[in-house]
Amino acid sequence: MITAASAPPEPDSPDWYQVDLERFHGPLDLLLHLIRRQDIDVLDIPIARITGQFVAAIREVHDLPLERAGEFLEMASQLVRIKLRMLFPARGGEDEDEDPRADLVRRLLEYEHFREAADLLGRAERERALRFARGYQPVRSVPTPEPAALESGWDDLWAAARELEPAGELPDPQLTMARRPIPIEEKIEWVLSSLERSGRVEFGTLVAPWGTRPHAVSSLLACLELARRRDVRMRQSGPFAPLWILPPSPP
Amino acid sequence: MNPLRVIEAVLFASDAPVRVVDLARAADDLDEDGVEAILGELRIEYERAGHAFSLVEIGGGYQLLTRPEYAGVLDRFETVPRSGTLSRPALETLAIVAYRQPVGRAEIEDIRGVSVGGVLRTLIDHELIEVVGRGEGLGRPLLYGTTTRFLEHFGFRSLEELPRSDELPVVLSRERSAEPVEEEGISKEEGDGEG
Repeated sequence: MITAASAPPEPDSPDWYQVDLERFHGPLDLLLHLIRRQDIDVLDIPIARITGQFVAAIREVHDLPLERAGEFLEMASQLVRIKLRMLFPARGGEDEDEDPRADLVRRLLEYEHFREAADLLGRAERERALRFARGYQPVRSVPTPEPAALESGWDDLWAAARELEPAGELPDPQLTMARRPIPIEEKIEWVLSSLERSGRVEFGTLVAPWGTRPHAVSSLLACLELARRRDVRMRQSGPFAPLWILPPSPP
Repeated sequence: MNPLRVIEAVLFASDAPVRVVDLARAADDLDEDGVEAILGELRIEYERAGHAFSLVEIGGGYQLLTRPEYAGVLDRFETVPRSGTLSRPALETLAIVAYRQPVGRAEIEDIRGVSVGGVLRTLIDHELIEVVGRGEGLGRPLLYGTTTRFLEHFGFRSLEELPRSDELPVVLSRERSAEPVEEEGISKEEGDGEG
């Protein structure tokens, strides 16, 4: 994928600029490294040479995560674009006078400026770390105050719920669940055999022989399961009206 | 009670710098000038007695810190809280926020040439930066600035103590101002941020 964006191979392609991409904090960092290492005047960058070296250096770019790879590739394409504009200057354009490298140079200098600033901060940080205060940790992690709803998982929810619950009042973690006393499979067979006998069955008559709540629940589940399989149809004219179980509609 | 000892007690027991205005609450007839005078006395007292700690002005307040020469020994003690250091990308991002604040994510990414979402989140988690407002550009981007904790972490008294950008070898302010300003809604505050 790099060859598509790459410049023609450079005649002088020594190995020394083989670099470990992981070491660099982005394309500007790498570009500055190449420039500074060769004592190149930033205001007069030999674009063809640097482009070749940059492209060669990011050969291993596909080892990087996609987002980081994209950052390096974007810079490569920008370099190639500048190189082209130096070879074929736009004629009569309003920015005829401007060096095609100007914008890049500005960015490089600005980035270098902040790199120096980061060095100064790093030095200040090291000096500060030599002095200790009571119980003070200069960098400490705190819970993210921003809305984290989308990043919360079940664990977070559970932890939050436990915090709400006053200690000692948590429900016994060993919940006992009653086994379902009547297997649904049994009820399914009962529904089907009743249907076979009488053509159509009212729900109440299915439950009537037992009349207990567990039987009613199992019977209803059986009917719903059969309806889901399209083995029966269920009809009810209104709430609390008789619930009829019918054979599946004829094809 | 001797106000000097009261202030000493507050400084001793605090785990963060204490502002002069807060120290003034230590005693009834104490104002900020009085506090400054007492702080001066304490500083001299610690100096003369050769204590292992000194009174340091930091993060907009005052704090008792051990002298640097004890760092090596203290590092060997589990009971002493260690200070963490930031990664290079975090330092670069923080530098941009510090000098350009208030600054939006887009401008930071433009300067560094990489995406900085994760780094910003880390810096916010560490309370080194915070959202200070919204820009005027597209989507009203969040603008970030540094916190008091930032000053504490790097040992600065205030933002004025940051190494000034014109002391840095590369200066860009002139080139930047020559450009037509296109940054999203933060151009107005830009001059202030440099201090």
